[in-house]
Amino acid sequence: MDAPIVNESSFSAANPSAYSLAEIWPPSGDPGIVGSGGPRAGNLDGSAEESTVTEQSGSGRKRKDANSEDESSKRVSSSCVLGSDLNNSNGAKRTKIAGSRDENGGSKVEVEANSVACNKLSAEQSAKPSEPPKQDYIHVRARRGQATDNHSLAERARREKISERMKTLQDLVPGCNKIIGKALVLDEIINYIQSLQHQVEFLSMKLEAVNSRMDMSPALDGFVAKDLMSQPFDGTGMMFASQAARDYMQGSQAQPDWLHMQTGGGFKRET
Amino acid sequence: MFCGFQMKNPQRSPTNPGSVRSRFTQVFLQSLLRIRKHSPASSSSSSSLGEFLKRCHRVKVAAYVSMARAAGTRRAWSRAMLWRVRHDAHRHRLLQGRCSRSSSRERSPGKKKRRTKKKKKRRDDQEHGFGNAEKLQKLVPGGEAMDFSCLLDETAHYIKCLVTQVKVMRSIADFYSL
Repeated sequence: MDAPIVNESSFSAANPSAYSLAEIWPPSGDPGIVGSGGPRAGNLDGSAEESTVTEQSGSGRKRKDANSEDESSKRVSSSCVLGSDLNNSNGAKRTKIAGSRDENGGSKVEVEANSVACNKLSAEQSAKPSEPPKQDYIHVRARRGQATDNHSLAERARREKISERMKTLQDLVPGCNKIIGKALVLDEIINYIQSLQHQVEFLSMKLEAVNSRMDMSPALDGFVAKDLMSQPFDGTGMMFASQAARDYMQGSQAQPDWLHMQTGGGFKRET
Repeated sequence: MFCGFQMKNPQRSPTNPGSVRSRFTQVFLQSLLRIRKHSPASSSSSSSLGEFLKRCHRVKVAAYVSMARAAGTRRAWSRAMLWRVRHDAHRHRLLQGRCSRSSSRERSPGKKKRRTKKKKKRRDDQEHGFGNAEKLQKLVPGGEAMDFSCLLDETAHYIKCLVTQVKVMRSIADFYSL
């Protein structure tokens, strides 16, 4: 049997043939369902334009391959793979998924390539692998059209982790939700961090001026108590505490003018 | 303002922004008091820009240190920041002891930090955003020795703490500059 080739074309989910395939699938090994009983060779191009016929033949072929291989869970995965092939017989790309499948000596990680339609199959196939004994390795479902060897798996897991963290970062940074594209989002994050650091520096200057200007220990306890109670700052609350502070502040107003700038202005300076 | 801030991240359980904020406030206010006590009494008369900038830098460092302490040592960036400050304070003191005071008025020990802290400058050419990853590594303390996914994680926490810090500092400044 020649190595089956997987078609990589994008599978439109609105393909009604998927449903027919799902109906065909449960009765296993029944060649009677196969209408054409047609091309047994791995050549999928010769399939008719009618996708249902293709799938029927493909499913028949798939089952026959499965029977011929006579290995437990690989069969299921292989059939799923083929099912996904056949759903896209008019596919553009073809990749050899089956390298792993054919080489599987029963101790490798198996991957089932799921297509959009094959998700329905997978629901049924997940019942099927209960027959084969559970292996020690983790069965990972790869997405359609992606390579399934170990390195790619690790790569994919890492990429997903990174994209998940990028999403949380996007939630943190305001205005980042609309930006699409990792590079731009990263630029935005970098700008945001820089602006925050500039704000800290600016505020530290302001605090230093405030610090040197007045004696704030009497009002300090009021501030700490209020803040630790996590009350929102309203004007009235601050009035009472700052009254004492203001008495001290009558004196020196030796503050440079540029410190009166708002912090928002400082932020705008950078952008 | 603070209530709104607290309600923004209720689901981030390991880094509770409320507790970080309160811890930061406490530590920072204490450090401000300490700075004020240690600064010379005639602070208003010392109007030279250099002195002013030095004091501002001290406030800034105090802010960062108190933020790092409030964040806890579980986070890589806070550990890196504390290490950096301690290391640079030590080196700063050494320089002051050796050279004259004017030369040690280097207002950016950050540059020295980056030069010394480059122990493991792992060139991270991961596929996505590898050019920006370097800039991000420089911004986030301790980011040089991290892979990209850890860097993103630390960045998220760092941003949260920075936002807290800015809010608290702004509220303090507004409170006392009325």
